[in-house]
Amino acid sequence: MSSPEPGPYRLLGGRIPYVEGPLKVTGRAEYTDDIQRPGMLVGRLLRSPWPHARLVSVDVRAARALPGVLAVLTGDRYPTPFGVLPITHDETAIAVGKARYIGDIVAAVAATDELTAEKALSLVRFKVEPLPEYSDPRSGLSKVAEPIHARGLLGSNIQKEVVQHFGDVDAAFARAAVTVRVRGRFAGVTHAFTEPMATVAEATPDGRLTVWSATQVPHYLHRTLSEVLEIPMHRIRVIKPEVGGGFGGKSDPLPHEIVCAALALETGRPVKILFDREDVFYTNHGRHPTQNDVRIAADADGTFLGYDIEALIDGGAWSSFGTVTTYYNGVLAMGPYRVPNFRYKGQRVYTTKPPSGAMRAHGGTNLRYSIELALDALAEKLGVDPFDLRERNALPPNSTTINQFRITSTSFVKCLTAVRERSGWDAKFRRLPYGRGVGLGCGFYISGSNSPIHFTPKMPQSTVHLKVDMDGGIAVHSMQADIGQGSNTLLAAIVAEVLGVDLERVHVQRVDSDVSPVDLGSYSSRVTFMMGNAAREAAESLRDRLVAAAARTLGEPAGSLEVGHERIAVRGRPDRFVTFLDALHAAMETSGALTASGSYRSPTLGGTFKGARAGTAPAYSFAAYVAEVDVDVETGAYRIPRLWAAFDCGRALNRLAVEGQIEGSIHMGLGQVMGESMNYRSSRLLNPSLLEYKIPMPQQMPKVEILLVGDDDPEGPFGAKEAGEGPLIATLPAVGNALYDAVGVRFHELPITPDRVLRGLDLRAAEHRPWKGA
Amino acid sequence: MHLDPFELHRPTTVDEVVRLATELAGRFDYLAGGTDLLPNYKMHLNAKPHLVALEDVGELRGHSETRLGAMERLADLEADRAFGRVHPGLSDAIGEVATPLVRSSGTVGGNLLVDTRCFFFNQSYFWRSSLGFCLKADGDRCHVVPQAERCYATFSGDLAPALLVLDAEVEVAGPTGRRRLPLGALYDPAGDGIRRTRLAPGDLLVAVHLPPGAPGRRARYKKLRVRPSYDFPELGVAVAGAWDSDRVRSLRLAVGGVETLPRRFDDLTDPLVGAPLTPETVNRLADEVQRRVRPVHNTFLPPDYRRRMVGVYVRRALAEAREGSAG
Repeated sequence: MSSPEPGPYRLLGGRIPYVEGPLKVTGRAEYTDDIQRPGMLVGRLLRSPWPHARLVSVDVRAARALPGVLAVLTGDRYPTPFGVLPITHDETAIAVGKARYIGDIVAAVAATDELTAEKALSLVRFKVEPLPEYSDPRSGLSKVAEPIHARGLLGSNIQKEVVQHFGDVDAAFARAAVTVRVRGRFAGVTHAFTEPMATVAEATPDGRLTVWSATQVPHYLHRTLSEVLEIPMHRIRVIKPEVGGGFGGKSDPLPHEIVCAALALETGRPVKILFDREDVFYTNHGRHPTQNDVRIAADADGTFLGYDIEALIDGGAWSSFGTVTTYYNGVLAMGPYRVPNFRYKGQRVYTTKPPSGAMRAHGGTNLRYSIELALDALAEKLGVDPFDLRERNALPPNSTTINQFRITSTSFVKCLTAVRERSGWDAKFRRLPYGRGVGLGCGFYISGSNSPIHFTPKMPQSTVHLKVDMDGGIAVHSMQADIGQGSNTLLAAIVAEVLGVDLERVHVQRVDSDVSPVDLGSYSSRVTFMMGNAAREAAESLRDRLVAAAARTLGEPAGSLEVGHERIAVRGRPDRFVTFLDALHAAMETSGALTASGSYRSPTLGGTFKGARAGTAPAYSFAAYVAEVDVDVETGAYRIPRLWAAFDCGRALNRLAVEGQIEGSIHMGLGQVMGESMNYRSSRLLNPSLLEYKIPMPQQMPKVEILLVGDDDPEGPFGAKEAGEGPLIATLPAVGNALYDAVGVRFHELPITPDRVLRGLDLRAAEHRPWKGA
Repeated sequence: MHLDPFELHRPTTVDEVVRLATELAGRFDYLAGGTDLLPNYKMHLNAKPHLVALEDVGELRGHSETRLGAMERLADLEADRAFGRVHPGLSDAIGEVATPLVRSSGTVGGNLLVDTRCFFFNQSYFWRSSLGFCLKADGDRCHVVPQAERCYATFSGDLAPALLVLDAEVEVAGPTGRRRLPLGALYDPAGDGIRRTRLAPGDLLVAVHLPPGAPGRRARYKKLRVRPSYDFPELGVAVAGAWDSDRVRSLRLAVGGVETLPRRFDDLTDPLVGAPLTPETVNRLADEVQRRVRPVHNTFLPPDYRRRMVGVYVRRALAEAREGSAG
């Protein structure tokens, strides 16, 4: 770990243990499955065993007649389509008319106990007509016999097609001194968060519906419940208990959440749906299986002239975030380097497989792998060091990309410099013996999507409320969703920092739509930036009133006072002070309990062309990683003994949380490189279990050195930017390029399993291409 | 997923177990750790209405250098450093089973008789129903080898190869009394892959016995898997030998994790006794073993790769065994 310089803040910039940590590690924290309601029923889902089938008829009489069964639902009851993006509402709570993948929900029951519920499911009888299976996205590019959705482009299974061209790519390639090309192939990967999805719903006689759910985005769930169940939002109350990880997998409003609420409405009793791991795999919404084709042109001194990119993205059965995914797989090429000419064609195609969606570093990961491998090849062709090549092309601060992304702060060059030095790059690159190597991978990511999905841009994306009464405790309300990343802690720390009080005074309240003001939740790495600014504004408003009261008490001008250490004191005269509590009580004489509100709305960004908003963000994070690998050239197995991670998240506000996010991101990134893969035989997922889905074990983690080198961002709260997703991206190409340095093979296909390593070595041998003397 | 109800029996003596096993023949499974059985039951994989728990049967516990109780827990063997020193190969194998948590429940007998595994078998009832089930449970066809009339699910225990190369014997109690047979004879190559042992109704595996020469044998067990813990073997190679200076005094080699049963290759190793082990003989041995094994595509790593690794692992296991301490 780099040693932080002493910062200007009392709490922020330090290492702040999670405020809910003691509850979590002692088992007291309340997750959705911990919620028990009187008379609660068990909800269970019947999943389609057919990859694609028309549901001709269904007979639920026997299931309904089973003693202990209180409701059996099929798709016709709540058929309103929904989806996380307003433009692609193609999901339903329960399949209507067709089942679109093995695992699609086709019926649901509520019963007094699990065994009865499962027995009831076995009594539901469907008459179906099998339909063609489309497991390969290439099969859906032109008109098909039975499109998976009616909205497929021109009778095909294409869900979204993006074509963009900035500058003149053909001219750039024509005048290029060097071109390189990488055709990447990426298996689908899934989030594999710790806590399986769970939802509890209860409809009460006062006409209200309460839904507790393991969600990253309580607000979108709230909206979707209202739309599908046709109940006004104010009569629905969404509560988010503690959430055991999400990584994007809990950011869509999900069918089972609606089904659970529907079962509660049907039965008048509370209902719980708890997933097992196989349910989680079928729900998926993980990273898309993808094929991409990245071509890069440069002139003789290594200056990039243009990118030409294509992507074919396997969407699975639903749209989910897919339209965003399709843009991101192109536009997230726009950093961290200057790209003067750019062309992209992306197609996302429906298949009869579990839906893909947003997963940590959504849209940027697979693209970045291919780009960074191509740059490594480019450096080799030009005979320049990969660091020098990247530095020469780095986007400068306060610049605009060709597709009109606004870049404000970037410490990317500092990342390069720091990681080059700490990793000992110059002594290692191409100098380690055969089988060992180092590789550089870089990346950047959005620090909060600038476009709120549902709002007109006039409403803020985040609002934070504070309330402090005579007890001196500060209650904080916001619909931001802590899913384990530490946003509750950051929220408390910002409030405590601004008010100059101890952290233990600040109590972040559970997300509850009845009392929490809207924040759009945990996705697109937006929380620190947006909630952080809203929290700061709310706390400053409260502080100003306390300072005004203190000024009256002390008879000093407010401008001469400062807060800190639970006091408000005259600057430079620490003996002239009032305590926080005295100031509070003085302020309360006029108004009673103090309340304050703060909000954040992002600036207007981006161009005016179609799709211009995709990828715009008020700030971007940057990364440069070096991985060291050690390959067993006889078995193809490899280890990653060391990894150096230089990251620019602006000012790290909670170093403990930032380091945790970086280490966790590296682990997740390594999973996609080393073995994680949703394996299919046609449309059938072969490994829906944590035994056969190969998340790396602790022994496979490298020794990680984290270098936080970011300068303050001008708009981020206290200078901060995101650290939740960007840290994943650079991991993958750092390893890919290190493998090339080790054994002279560029692996274009992930995961890089030992058998693929050996196949690569065989091919290199067949080409008589020696590497490092081997 | 849930466990269907079953009746749990908790006998305390071997005689009582044999009586129960005879009476319940075909309708029960032994519970000897449960780390594999209970997940399989949750998936409704050949679940039986009765479970006979063996943990209260005192005679099945305990270990010495030459006897391992069938119910001895792997973690207890692992904790015995002296045992590990005299049985380096076995110690390798024990330490490579699953995870420490699993080894704290898993037993010697449970590992020797653990069920075989296959991508098309170790799945939930829902998953299998969507495919139409398979030979090994609820169905009549194989999804790995079309038209197969036997099951090709993979032997997934780690201890068997390591014990096979030590010439271990198993002690079996049955309705007609006790008998001992070589561990290799416990497994029946004439079975259909679903029935894999020569155990008869009412039989109980009581203990594993190691011959007096076994302690101190130079031995190694090497396991191929995707991750360094948790995973079942994709290949396991065990060797044990004794050397007079460079001359082979004895040599055994066994392979597991690639076929339905573990097997030993005495016809390849016996001719090597009495002569020095040269790189050429090692390579010939490794190549021939590799040529003979027939993995199928029913685990994570592709069969051609697993097969190729047989040769590599044989060479490495032999080299490491020869270098290893004789204890």
